[in-house]
Formats: sequence, structure tokens, C-alpha cells
Amino acid sequence: MTNGKRYFDTALTGAAAVAVVLSTIYGALAQSAAPSDPTDAGKAVFKRANCFGCHKWHGNGGGGYGGDALSLRKTELTREQIMETVGCGRPGTGMPFFTRGAYDTVKCHDMNRQDAGDHMPPEANTFLRPNDIEAVADYVIAHIKGKGEPNYTECVAFFGDTSRVCDVYKKAEAQPTAGSTGGGGKAN
Amino acid sequence: MKRFTKHGLLGQASVLVLLGAAIGLASVPLARAADEVTQDRLLNVDKEPGNWLHHHKNYSATRFSNLKDINKDNVKNLKVAWTMHLAGVEGGGIWTHGGLEGTPIVENGFMYVTDGWGSVYKIDAHGGKGELLWKMDPKTDHDWAGAVACCGVDNRGVALWGDLVISHTLDGRLVATNKQTGQVAWQRQVADPNKGEVLTGAPLIVKNMAITGVAGAEYGIRGWVAATDLTTQKEVWRTHTIPGKGEPGHETWKDANNAAASGGGSTWVTGSYDPATDTIIWGIGNPGPDWDNQYRPGDNLYTDSSLALDASTGKIKWHYQHTPNDPYDYDSVAENVLVDVPAPNGSTLKLALEADRNGFAYAIDRTTGKFIWGLPFVKKVTWTKGLDQETGKPIEYDANKQVQTYITAVTPSRENKVADICPGNMGGKNWPPTAYNPDLKLWYIPVIESCNRITLEESVPEKLKAREFWTGGGPSQPFKITGSVTAIDVTSGKIAGKFETPFPNLGGVLATPDLVFSGQPSGEVMALDAKTLEKKWEFNTGGGVNAPPMTFMVDGKQYVAILVGLGGAWDKWFIDATPELKRIQPGSMLYVFAL
Repeated sequence: MTNGKRYFDTALTGAAAVAVVLSTIYGALAQSAAPSDPTDAGKAVFKRANCFGCHKWHGNGGGGYGGDALSLRKTELTREQIMETVGCGRPGTGMPFFTRGAYDTVKCHDMNRQDAGDHMPPEANTFLRPNDIEAVADYVIAHIKGKGEPNYTECVAFFGDTSRVCDVYKKAEAQPTAGSTGGGGKAN
Repeated sequence: MKRFTKHGLLGQASVLVLLGAAIGLASVPLARAADEVTQDRLLNVDKEPGNWLHHHKNYSATRFSNLKDINKDNVKNLKVAWTMHLAGVEGGGIWTHGGLEGTPIVENGFMYVTDGWGSVYKIDAHGGKGELLWKMDPKTDHDWAGAVACCGVDNRGVALWGDLVISHTLDGRLVATNKQTGQVAWQRQVADPNKGEVLTGAPLIVKNMAITGVAGAEYGIRGWVAATDLTTQKEVWRTHTIPGKGEPGHETWKDANNAAASGGGSTWVTGSYDPATDTIIWGIGNPGPDWDNQYRPGDNLYTDSSLALDASTGKIKWHYQHTPNDPYDYDSVAENVLVDVPAPNGSTLKLALEADRNGFAYAIDRTTGKFIWGLPFVKKVTWTKGLDQETGKPIEYDANKQVQTYITAVTPSRENKVADICPGNMGGKNWPPTAYNPDLKLWYIPVIESCNRITLEESVPEKLKAREFWTGGGPSQPFKITGSVTAIDVTSGKIAGKFETPFPNLGGVLATPDLVFSGQPSGEVMALDAKTLEKKWEFNTGGGVNAPPMTFMVDGKQYVAILVGLGGAWDKWFIDATPELKRIQPGSMLYVFAL
């Protein structure tokens, strides 16, 4: 399936292409008809609001060019605290606020823009409504907070199976020694 | 054949084919011969002044065109001739959108450009307009590649060989596309995103080989330069930029963590080639982890170096390292510009010029790898007092020390975790290419005039994981960042002029006999007087310029082309240093100008 999609133009005859398209549609229909995870809406917010741009799909964050996004796997924040952090951002860090009017018409940490001063967090590119923020907090609690090392099943649940993005976890699980040292595929 | 029908019966190619058929000649080989790209043509691009066959215009990487129908007297009349919207704006991995960093290639009136995800577009530029002939979409695996692209969804363009268009994809492939049909002829996986390797640079073609450089020093790769035979599609050589055990230079990795195995040294900017000595000169990236140099005591060869390779074997001939045991992310991935200038004693200096992330411009003897001169090209350098005039090493460099601290007070270390550095970690000068005017002996550098703040995070082996950042900290942007085009007189090694700009130069420059073209991430494309750097012309594209301008001629008329679409590292990681650029929208557009 993966290969069929990747080389769609060159490798497949017309009839086969139609079959692939149809099966893709049926696949999508089947997926949407299946009983859905109640936190799917939250996962969609996690993607749409680009949480994974810094925290990564697995929530572990980690240092990088954009500084160090905290690990949501290791977080001790409660659901309410996560919602507050998403809505108001984290003063003095790169974690943006996602509530329209935060530090302005909506009080955050008992501060307005003036009080926050230099510690004013950046404004997110997307504003989220309260039910979106609840949904993303529920998703983080259900699928990220308290989890151990990211694995293949979790990765595919996030990205689907049309990309090779999760292969690295499949390999790590097949070779537990390489996975446990974290050096899988790094020797060269 | 798509081309001929679209071109119409009056098109030159059709006429050729018809004539050939009528008088019984083998018309297809005839028509092809003029378009076959050979080593001879690649060596002698000066014989085809209207074409732009190499990524950097020529093997010397001067990005100088002697076309001068557009000149300082008439450039004020330069106007948009045509534009074309491209695709590839969508995101993937950790990226919300792609951008354009490519240099168009033009051969006999046909232009080849790429978008950030590596789609190749062939455009017919005849007749004062642009017509898309075909698009080759390599179906890049967005999430696989985009999740380990440190610095954007980028592709810097194609190369030509025979009847093939040679390009890279972010997910690690070298793709050969038939120039006429746009069909993929073959492809080969050269880099492995499962190791954090991605491809963003344009290939360099040397003697039937495609030379590929890799990105990923922020993800714990061990860098390399690789040569693929374009006939057999097999690898000819692959030279790692971090020496393995038993190889010279390995002793410059003195730690007990096997840091060399994930030591970085990426090679994502296209190098240059000196046919006189059959030498490829390639810039090598930063060591990893970027900022925690106590994790990797030693000079960390060949990171932050210019590296000379035997083109036939890939063997290392010489190296010149700029920032040993780098604690700043001051890579040396930039192109080396090969120029010959008269020496005081009447001989000729054969130089390799490199403008480094660390804020210094270097001239190296490209035969021996010896330092000739160096000087700061940015307004502010705080990490060193300057270069040793004999060796070119930073004055504070101490060969007896395992960990370099340079000016300790401003250098990030485990004892000084938050440090403000100038230039900032983007440089100096980043990938956007320089240009060199051989008549004026002036070398033009696209400059990021910057400082930023580094917060160090101690690296431990357990943190090293496939496809995860391996940076040992990260930058933040408490300071405003501006830019300039800075000209250096290569005969004296002195700054000849500086044209300051409100924003960093994220696109690079083009030189013509009396003009310099460049752009701004705020949207402007501009032409400067080559001698005085006075602005002679400007046009606002309405997007962010993140790619170099180039020039070409078709139907006897000169054009200037530039891709516009802000992507790359800046608008994700560094935008806080230029808050006004937050208003620049993602885009993907080709602009072509003419008088």
C-alpha cells in the first residue's frame, strides 16, 4: 500500500490505480465508521495547533533549534493545569498562549500584558476555543502523560501507516538491545 | 512530446524535427545533441553565457554572469516579465509549511526549478513568458523526512547531465528524470532518514558522477559526501567527514563516549570543483551536539572545515578548520569560491574563499590548504579577539587544551550555561551563497548581522536517540537581527563596502559586471551598484525572499529570476529576532524580471 501510493504515477496501470483509489476511500470510510477514540478530537487539535512542532508527536519535546520544549510524558501537571498552560502559555518561555484575549480581556496567572512585561509568552498562530483546549488536555492525559518510551503502535496511531516515519520504532522493537541503548542505527 | 504540442508548430524544436524528418536525418539524436549536458559543457560554461548550468553558475562557484544588457544605467526599468505559482507549501513532520531556497537552472531557454518537497518543474521560458512543460513529483515522504529536517522543508535545486535532470529529495533519494518527458528514469536511496539524514542541497555533477551532501548534524548523524555513477547508478565513493577509528583525524575526538559516531559534520551546501587538480572542495558542518563541546573534547575534525577531496576517489587531500571544538554551532558548510588573484610577488594566488558562520571570511591556498588571510565580515564579533595572522586560528585557540573556551565569558559551557554570542548561531553567513566579480575582484557576502542567546543543556549518551535532536541546548532570540551585503576586496583582503538591510540576508547574491542582485525576507528584490553598493532598483514581491537570484538569456533577451517563499529555519526557530517578518505568509512563487 505504501509503495503503491508512492509510485502511483509510474508503477500502476489505470485499472490498478482505480482499485487503489477505491480501496483508499473504503479504508477511510471504514476508519470513520469504526468506533472512534473519544480523544481523537484532541489529537486533531494537537496537530492543528502545531503542538507537535515543538513537543513532537510523542510529547517528549526535547532540545533543538527552538529551545527545550518540556516533556509532556514526564509532566506532573493535572488536566486543569495543562488547560491553563495551553490557554495562557508559560510566561518567560517559548510556550505560546492559545486563548484569544489572554493577558488582555482574559486574566492569566493574575497578570495582564503590562504585568507580564518581558515575560509575556508569545501568541500562538492558532487560537483555540475552550472545548478545543479541554480536548487537547484530555488527549495528552490519555495518550502522552506518564507514558514511557514512544513505540511503534503509538507512532502509527498518530501518523497513520502511509509514511515511513514510524519505521525506526519498528526496528528498535525488533532489536531490543539497540533500542535500549538508544544507539540504534547510529553506528555509522 | 508534450513539449512540442504545447510549443506549437512554429516552435524551434518542432521545426527542427520536421526538417530532420523531411530530409531523412536522424532528427531525434540531432535535436538531442545540443541539449546533452557533457563534462565538456560543464567545464566551459563561459561559452554559453545565456545559460546557467551549475547550481553556483560554474565549478568555481562565483555566481557571476557576464550578461550586461541589464546594467546599472537601465536597471531602474526592470519589471516583472512573468511569474509562476509553484506548489510544495504544505507541511510535514515538525513543519507547518515548505519554502523555496532553490537556484533555477536554465539551459537553452528551458528552466528547471524545485519546490521544498523536491518536485521538479520544467518551464519553457521562450517568447517572454513561462509555460510549465512538466512537473515531476517524487512523492516525498513528508512525515518521515519532515520530522528530522532541522531547518525547514528545503530543496536548493537540480543539476543537468546527459538527457537527465538530477535532483535530491528530502527523504534521501537521488532522482534522475528524463529531461524531455519528465518521467523518472531511475532513483537511488543515498541518505537514510531513519538515521536522521536528509537531503536539501543541489547535486554537483563531476565526470559522470552526482556528488551528494547530507544534512542532519542536529540529529546525531556522522556526515559524508557521496559520489554516484550516473551510468551504473552505483556508489563510486563515500567519504565520511568524521574520520573512523584508525583514520587520520580520529585522534581529534578525545572523549570516552564515542562522540565521533554521532559527531555531525553535515555537508548540505553544494561544493565547488577545481578541474586543474581534479579536486572537489566542500564545506563541512558543525559538530554534534552543537553546543556542549565538553561532550566531545578535541578539535573534532573535520567539522567546521573546508575539505578538499580527490574527485575520482573521494580521498581527502587537505583540510582547513575554522572553529576547532566548536561550542557555538558555527558550521563551515558554506560554498568555497575558487578564484585566482595576482600575488604581490608577481605569481598567482589560487584561492578558496569561504564566508563562515563564525563571522570571518577566509582565503585559503586551494592547492595546499594553507591560510592566506581572514577578516571579520560582520559588524560584531564577541567570541574571539580575532584570527592569528599566521595560522588563521582564533587567537584564543590552544592546541594543548582539549576543550576550547575562546573568550570564556561569552562562550556557552557547562559552567556558563546561558551565553550571548555574536554572531548568533545562524551566523555570520549561512547557506545563502556569495558571488564574486572577477573584473572588480570583489566578493559579495549575504550577511546575517546578529547576536543570539545560547542555553546549554548537558549531553549524556542516554539522550542520543535515532531521529531526535542532539544539540546540547538551544538558541533564543532576545536581540534584533539585521543584515547586509558586504563586499570584500580579494586582492587586499579588506572590506570594500557594506550595504546594510533591515533584515538578515536569507537568500544570497548574484553578481553581474556592474550590478549585484539580492533580496530580503520582507519581500524586496534589489539591484545594487557593484562598486558602491548603492541601491539602483527594488521590487517588492509580497513574499519572503529565501533564495538566490540568477540571470539568463533566451531569444536574445536577458532575464533575472528568483524563487520567493519564506521557509527554512528562520520562520520557525529565529523569527523572534525579526518580529516584523511574522506577517510574511508562506508562499511558493517564481518571479522573472526583464527590461
